[in-house]
Amino acid sequence: MELPQTKSQFVQLSRKLRKEQRLLSYFRLRTNYDLMIGAIILGVLILVAFIGPLLSPYDPYAMKVLDRLKPPSAAHWLGTDEFGRDLLTRVLYGARVSMSIGLTVTALSSLLGLIIGVYAAYYKSLDHILMRICDGLIAFPGILLAIALMATLGASATNVIIALTIVFTPSIARTIRSAALVVREQAYIEAIRAQGANNARIIWLHIVPNTLSPLLVQAAFVFAEAILSEAALSFLGAGIPAPSPSWGNILQASKPVISKAWWMVTFPGIALILSVLSLNMLGDGLRDFLDPRSKRRGNKKARRAAS
Amino acid sequence: MSQTPLLDVRNLRTHFYTERGRVTAVDGVSFSMEPGEIVGIVGESGCGKSVMSQSIIRLLDYADDVSYEGEVRLGGENLLQLSNSRMRKIRGNLVSMVFQDPLTSLDPVYTVGDQIAESLRQHRRLSRREAREKALELLRMTGIPSPEQRLDEYPHQLSGGMQQRVMIAIALACEPQLLIADEPTTALDVTIQAQILELIVELNRKLGMGVLFITHDLGVVSEICTSVKVMYLGQIVEEMTTAQLFANPLHPYTQGLIRSIPRMDGDRRQKLHIIAGTVPSLNDKPQGCRFATRCPYADDKCRNEEPPIATAEEGHRLKCWYYEEISNGLREAVGHGD
Repeated sequence: MELPQTKSQFVQLSRKLRKEQRLLSYFRLRTNYDLMIGAIILGVLILVAFIGPLLSPYDPYAMKVLDRLKPPSAAHWLGTDEFGRDLLTRVLYGARVSMSIGLTVTALSSLLGLIIGVYAAYYKSLDHILMRICDGLIAFPGILLAIALMATLGASATNVIIALTIVFTPSIARTIRSAALVVREQAYIEAIRAQGANNARIIWLHIVPNTLSPLLVQAAFVFAEAILSEAALSFLGAGIPAPSPSWGNILQASKPVISKAWWMVTFPGIALILSVLSLNMLGDGLRDFLDPRSKRRGNKKARRAAS
Repeated sequence: MSQTPLLDVRNLRTHFYTERGRVTAVDGVSFSMEPGEIVGIVGESGCGKSVMSQSIIRLLDYADDVSYEGEVRLGGENLLQLSNSRMRKIRGNLVSMVFQDPLTSLDPVYTVGDQIAESLRQHRRLSRREAREKALELLRMTGIPSPEQRLDEYPHQLSGGMQQRVMIAIALACEPQLLIADEPTTALDVTIQAQILELIVELNRKLGMGVLFITHDLGVVSEICTSVKVMYLGQIVEEMTTAQLFANPLHPYTQGLIRSIPRMDGDRRQKLHIIAGTVPSLNDKPQGCRFATRCPYADDKCRNEEPPIATAEEGHRLKCWYYEEISNGLREAVGHGD
C-alpha cells in the first residue's frame, strides 16, 4: 500500500480503511454461526409469538368435546388437546406468553442487576450489604425460590414476573459487579476524576457503558432461563393460572395423557427447546462477537475472508 | 521572587493505611513554584513522585485509605482542607493532569470530541455546540493532523502520540493555571516524545500555565524544565535550577543519577554506572539519611541522623551531611557504589 502524500489522499485512505473495518465486522458477524442461527430462530419465534395468533382461525379457549385428543390432521395441524382445543393455536398463544414474560423479566432484572452491580462495585460499603443479599438469594435453587415466592404472592402473570425477576437479578448483579470492578480501576476513570467528574457522572456515563457488553450476553442467558422457569412454574401449577395457554400449562395437561397423545407433549416441548436453544446460541455468539479476545472458528474464518 | 507563588506545598505527608500498618509514601515535601514555571520532579520508580503529584489534587481520596498532612496552597486556598465538591471544581478547572499511558487514559466508548467537551460542559456549562467548537479549537492547538475528522473518532482509531495530544487537549480545556504531567512521554517513542515535549513547552509559553513535570528521564528535564526537584523515598533530597543540576550536582544520589545517563561520547568499553541496591521498601525506611543504605559516602552519622536542609547557593538546597567535603574531594567513597 502506498503511503498518502497529500491531504486528499490521506482522507481517501482513511475512508478506505474504515470501509474495510466495516467489512471485517460484517464478516465477523456473518461467520459467527451461533449468533446468526440463534438470532434467526429467535426472530422467527418472536414474530410467531406476536403475529401467529392472529393467523390462526381457532379460539385458544373454544372447547369442542367431540374433537378431544385428535392427532394432527389437516384441520388441526398439531392435533387437539383434552378439551378439543386446537393445539397449534394454544402453542402460538403460549409463545406470546413465554416471550413476553421472558422479555419483561430479562429487562427488569437487567436494569435492577445493573444498578445493584455498579453501585456495589463502586462503593465498598454498599458492596458488602448488596452482595450478601445476592449470595442469600443465589443460595436457593432458583425454581424453589420462585415457587416459594409464587406461593406467597399468588398465581398470576404479574407475580410470575416479580418472582422470576427476584430470582434472576442476583446473577446479573454479580456479572455486572465483576465487570464494573475492572472498569473502575482503569486509567481512564482516574483521568476523568482528575478532570473533576463526580461519582454519579463516573458511574452512569463511564462505568455503565463499559459494562454493557457482558450485560447483553448475560441477558440472553437469563432470557432463556426465564422462559424455562416460567414453563416449569406453570407445569408445577405455580405459574400462569389454568385456562391461559402457556407452554408449561400445555405440558402439564399432557402429563395424564402422555401415552395416548404424543403430540401434546411433543410440540410445546419442541417450542420450548427451540427458544431456549436459540437464546443460548445467541448468548454464546454475542460473547464471541463482543469479546475480540475469544478466538473461535467463526473469527478465524472472518479473518481469512477479509484478507 | 516577589510574585505570590502559584503552588506552595508545605511539609506534605501522605499516609496509606495498609494491612501492614501505616506507610508514609510522601514524607515532608515542601516546595513552591511560580506561575509559568516548568518544574521537574525526578526520581526512581517508587520514590513517591506520582503519589506526591496525585496528593496535590487529592486523587487518592477515592482509591485507598489515605490521609494527608501539611498544606497544599493554590492561590491562597489550602486544597487539603477543601470539601469534596469544591475540590471537584478545582480538578480539571484550575489544576489538570496528564497521565503516563495515553492508550488507557481515554474512555473507549466515547468519541474524542465528546471527551474533550465533557469537562467544558461540566466546568464551563457550555452548550453542546459551543463545547464542540471549543473542542475542535483545542485539538487544532495540539497540532493533531486533520482535527475535524478526529473529533468524531474513537480512541482506538488514534495512535499513541495522537491520543496523548487528545489527553493534553482535555487537560487544557478549561485553561488551568497548573498542569501536572505525570510521565506523559514515557509510553511514547522518542520522536513522538520530542513532539509532545515541544507542545507542552509551547503551550506553557502561550498560556502562561505552570507545569509540574514528573519524569525519571533526566534528558527530558534538561530539555524543558526551569528547575528540578530530586526525590528519593518520599523526600526531596535536592532542588536546584536545571543548569545547576548538570553543572554542579551535590547530593550523592543526584550525582549517581547523572552518572547513570548513557553518553554518546563516553567510553564504550566502560560499564555504565549504576547506583547499588534498590530503593528500600517504604515499610523499612532507613532511620537517618534516607539514602544512607546506598550511598558510597555514608557513615554512622548518616545512618542515624537525618540531615537538615542545607542551602548550597541561591536556589540550590539539599539534604546531605557531607556535600561540601564530597564536592571538594575530601571524602572518599567507602563500599557501595561503582
